[in-house]
Amino acid sequence: MSFFRSKKMKYYSLVIPRESAWVVMDQLGRLGQLHIIDYDPLLPMMNRPFANYVKRCDDALFKLNGINTLLKQFKKNLIYCNDTQKLLDKFRDIQNLRQKPGHTYFDEIELEIENKKNNIQEMSNNLQNLLDRVDSITEQKLVLEKAKEILGKSIFSQSTPHNVNDYQQLKFGQLIGVIDKEDENRFKRIMFRITKGNAWVNIVDLLPEKQHHQIKNQIDLNRVSQPRCLYVIIYPGMNDQSTMKQKLLKVCDSFCKNRIEYPNSEEAMENRLKDLNNQINETQSLIRMTKKQLEISLDELVREKNGCNCSYFEQLRLYVLKEKYLYINLNYLTMQGSIFTGYFWLPDGLEVLVEDKLRQAIQNNIDRFPTGQIQEMKPKSDILPPTYFNLNEVIIPFQEIVNTYGVPRYQEINPGIFTIITFPFLFGVMFADIAHGFLLLLTGLYVIFWKKQLSKQTDSMFNAMIPFRYILTLMGFFAFYNGLIYNDYLSISLNLFGSCYHPKNEEWERTLNCVYPFGIDPVWLASGSSLNFMNSYKMKLSVILGVTHMLFGILLKGVNNLYFRNYLDFFCEFIPQLLFMASTFGWMDFLIILKWLNVYPDKFDPSIIETMINQVLKPMDETSTPVFLNNASFQLQITQVLTIIAVLSIPWMLLPKPLILGSSQKKHKVSFSEPQYQKLVQERQGSELEIDPQQFRKDLQSAASGKSIEQSEVEHESGEIWVHQMIETIEFVLGGISNTASYLRLWALSLAHGQLAEVFYDMCIAGKLDMGGIVGGLMGGYFYIVFALLTFGVLMMMDVMECFLHALRLHWVEFQSKFYKADGYLFVGFSYNQMLSEHLKL
Amino acid sequence: MDLCVFGVDDGYAEAIIRGLRASFLTEAQYQQMKNCASIPELKSFLEETDYQNCLQADNPQIPTSILRQRLKKKLADEFEYIEAQSTGTLTKYLFHLRCRFMIDNVVNMIEGLKNKIDIEILLSNIDPLGWFPEIKNIKVLEGDDYSSLYRDVLIDTPIGVYFMKFLEESIENLHENRTLNDIQNLFREMKPEYIRTSLKKMWLEDFYSFCESELMPTSQEALLELLKFEADFKTVQVIYNSIGNRDLNTAAKIITTRKQLCPTIGNLYPDCEKVYLQAMTLDALREAVKGCDNYRDLLKDAPDPLKREEFNVQTKTLDDIMYDDECRRYALSFDGQGSYGVFYAYLKLKEQEIRNIIWLAEMISRKLAKNHPGWKKIIIPFSHLGK
Repeated sequence: MSFFRSKKMKYYSLVIPRESAWVVMDQLGRLGQLHIIDYDPLLPMMNRPFANYVKRCDDALFKLNGINTLLKQFKKNLIYCNDTQKLLDKFRDIQNLRQKPGHTYFDEIELEIENKKNNIQEMSNNLQNLLDRVDSITEQKLVLEKAKEILGKSIFSQSTPHNVNDYQQLKFGQLIGVIDKEDENRFKRIMFRITKGNAWVNIVDLLPEKQHHQIKNQIDLNRVSQPRCLYVIIYPGMNDQSTMKQKLLKVCDSFCKNRIEYPNSEEAMENRLKDLNNQINETQSLIRMTKKQLEISLDELVREKNGCNCSYFEQLRLYVLKEKYLYINLNYLTMQGSIFTGYFWLPDGLEVLVEDKLRQAIQNNIDRFPTGQIQEMKPKSDILPPTYFNLNEVIIPFQEIVNTYGVPRYQEINPGIFTIITFPFLFGVMFADIAHGFLLLLTGLYVIFWKKQLSKQTDSMFNAMIPFRYILTLMGFFAFYNGLIYNDYLSISLNLFGSCYHPKNEEWERTLNCVYPFGIDPVWLASGSSLNFMNSYKMKLSVILGVTHMLFGILLKGVNNLYFRNYLDFFCEFIPQLLFMASTFGWMDFLIILKWLNVYPDKFDPSIIETMINQVLKPMDETSTPVFLNNASFQLQITQVLTIIAVLSIPWMLLPKPLILGSSQKKHKVSFSEPQYQKLVQERQGSELEIDPQQFRKDLQSAASGKSIEQSEVEHESGEIWVHQMIETIEFVLGGISNTASYLRLWALSLAHGQLAEVFYDMCIAGKLDMGGIVGGLMGGYFYIVFALLTFGVLMMMDVMECFLHALRLHWVEFQSKFYKADGYLFVGFSYNQMLSEHLKL
Repeated sequence: MDLCVFGVDDGYAEAIIRGLRASFLTEAQYQQMKNCASIPELKSFLEETDYQNCLQADNPQIPTSILRQRLKKKLADEFEYIEAQSTGTLTKYLFHLRCRFMIDNVVNMIEGLKNKIDIEILLSNIDPLGWFPEIKNIKVLEGDDYSSLYRDVLIDTPIGVYFMKFLEESIENLHENRTLNDIQNLFREMKPEYIRTSLKKMWLEDFYSFCESELMPTSQEALLELLKFEADFKTVQVIYNSIGNRDLNTAAKIITTRKQLCPTIGNLYPDCEKVYLQAMTLDALREAVKGCDNYRDLLKDAPDPLKREEFNVQTKTLDDIMYDDECRRYALSFDGQGSYGVFYAYLKLKEQEIRNIIWLAEMISRKLAKNHPGWKKIIIPFSHLGK
């Protein structure tokens, strides 16, 4: 049974010759059942033998990523792979066809990626440049056109002045160019300061988008261009050598290089514009060509190739990922000369499979290098094997609930198996309502039966529920079932089997010997004490459930102790704990049930709480209202015995274990003086990466005199054991009380749920039914909608979540604390399938 | 009181900074860096640290200058982010911090233009922390006409105020009946380094008064302390560097220059001013600062500036000693709660880290032997704590 306890693991050493490392690891990765252990976790990744390969893989992935952004820009849709096994088989076929060592295929792929990337990069750069050129030419054209508007024709017809001093004949020079819009104000200010206000600066916004909107649409490249402005400066003096012109030129250039020579005659202007138009047309045709080429090479990547059912791009990407994964795992081994050594965990009984794979490796290997060897080893005592369960879709969410708290220790009883039934059940006790439970059940069933259709609708809410469909169904079922027990249908009781009471003389009379066959008699809802009755019933029920749940947890502890042959814990912890719990709260449960079974005469009905308290406070007094009908002395005897057992079991829990451990350690001390193997370097800190020779010597010394270290540790430990045991005992005894009280949340939440349902029903439906006529009908319809929405939002969403969380807590804290160690770690197989399926989509 | 409300406006920005604390390289990482044999190796090491993203697109054989630019860019990006998240006083405060880098940039540009270095190269080398839009217009500078540079370009910039003060002061210091020629001569002879020091002095004083007047008491306490020490360090540095300086041939000139360059704040300022202005030897300087224990200890190990020719890589210069001490102070201030000191400290410590990385990169690219004393010449932020 690999779900009750985790699978048995075996520890193996793996030895691979350097030459066949790749082939062997490739085969093992396909098997996917090896949990490879990092030989030296402190060694930085950079210094490992295949760090270089990992880096190359990363680089290749980086390049692929670059290509992918381009693919997205050009709206090319990749075909994603959906069957990793098939893809892996294809990879193997490709390898077989090549007739070359397997690891060299990566070199080819790397080269191909490099080439493709360079090729595509170059084309897209070209395209980019061409676009920029079109932009700048269009801009020039715009500038000239606008400048023409601003300057008018008179600028061409300035004639050389006869008299320089005659300001009416002063000539004006002009500067025209483009600057960024955000520089506009700064530009104006600087110009003003430089010319001291003696120049006319005109700035106009350019809107190039309108102009070559058409080209942009064709290209589909989302290039953001900053808004730009055109500036025209008119300044006095035309002489090229004038200081002002030099200065202005310098400033304009320091803003931007885009200064444009303004033609000095109208004719030249016309020619310039024509010229620019021609250039635009030429560049546009070039752009179209480049884009076509680029698309062809991109299409090549999108298409399927080699019969893999995905795009060539995906094929490349997944292969590189696979290779990277292989090298990362190969890095966990250590290189000794020309062989790699490492250790791994393997689930029991798979040795044959691994050996089979190793044999295949030598067959597939073209050079017939010797294959790897595995050998079973005794694991080092300080490492526990990983926890491995065979899971299926039904139990994954339950195991996930358990794992979130902590992964089971190796071979420990897995609480997950009980969670499958107890979790939905406790949820159901809290969420008890026939209608709500049934709705939840329907939701679960809908997702189960329509799974195929739903898995295609990625944006549907039900799609997100697919992994949790079974837990939902079970939760719904138990809520439905408990609703029937509480006889609660949206706060109304159903009279399913006919009530045992009938009205007589203003009072209810019970039919003789009539028992309502299942659940609560609906007549209770009509009675004035219905809430009191239900509360008492639900409270007692939740305590009974809680104590049973906890006792079950304690029993599991006993089973665990027996399994691990930990008899000390069995006799000194499990038995007193069981006795304590049974003789206090177990006894209380017994009394509750006993009280239910008996009919007490008036004024003699016992109070259970009083009985329990008196058990301790007045141990010698017989009670006047015994739970055992007319048998007070018998009850007293039992209570006395049980009290003594409960009190005695506390020191029993506390004392023997540390005493026994302490004495056994004293005996052990002698044996420590014998030479023993020990870790040479005690604790290598992550920071001391270079081995300090002095430290090394010190370690050697301390290893030689290992005795002293051990002794101090023993003394240290015995104190720790006492403290630990004290904490455990206190926690158990106090926890026994508080945990039992904690189970009262089963009642509290069910009460809250019932009351909410009642309020919604009363407010929205019940009160509105009296209103007659059309108005009443409309109002009824309207309030029905309100009722439905409230029920859905508050009860079906919020309350489900709340009950879920409380059920979670009851499992994590109250149940699992009784036996669950939860300090294991998960088995992570070296498996291509798993890794690839995690990376299927970018 | 201000601790209660600090988080209201500045809590987020402070939290980001605290988070960025994790990005500092640790001593173990420095150790690994020292073990790198080549620049590509160093780069791939840095890619495993917080600097990963800013280096990924570069070619492995990255020149040190580009490396520096990348690292600084990252710091500037982080700083800009924090600036964008800040409000009110903090924004002003952070802007003040940036002014220091702007001064550096402007002076570097001026220096470069004087030496006829291409503007494009200069622009690519400016510190991204101190970037401001007008910086490209510095090109307008003609010859040594700083006043027209100020009038045309710098007047609008945040550091324009400092520049104006600087110009005024340097012209005032000329003799009474100055001519235009005198002023031009003054500017021609003026070294960019001199401009830098006096601008920074003004900035420091301005920043000090800003902290004094606008910040809350906790921030004030932390920052004034830091700034006082910084001012004192500046003073000591100025005095120290002017000892035996050949450009300043007369004693009077030395004193006027010193007076211009030494900040008028700090622990040393009014009390010891007379003494340190007169100090012409290292011993005299030691004597001048003996009032403050701390500086006496620092100067104890400083080499004599009169024997400058004998300095080599092994010498622990005054700068090294001071960086070391500053680094300790900033690290302490970084751990202070609820004050603006943490932003200042972060900037300074990150600068130090970048200096360290560049220094190591230089050492690696020159393939110096591993026992070369230069390898030890890095100051690791936060290494002073916890010892």
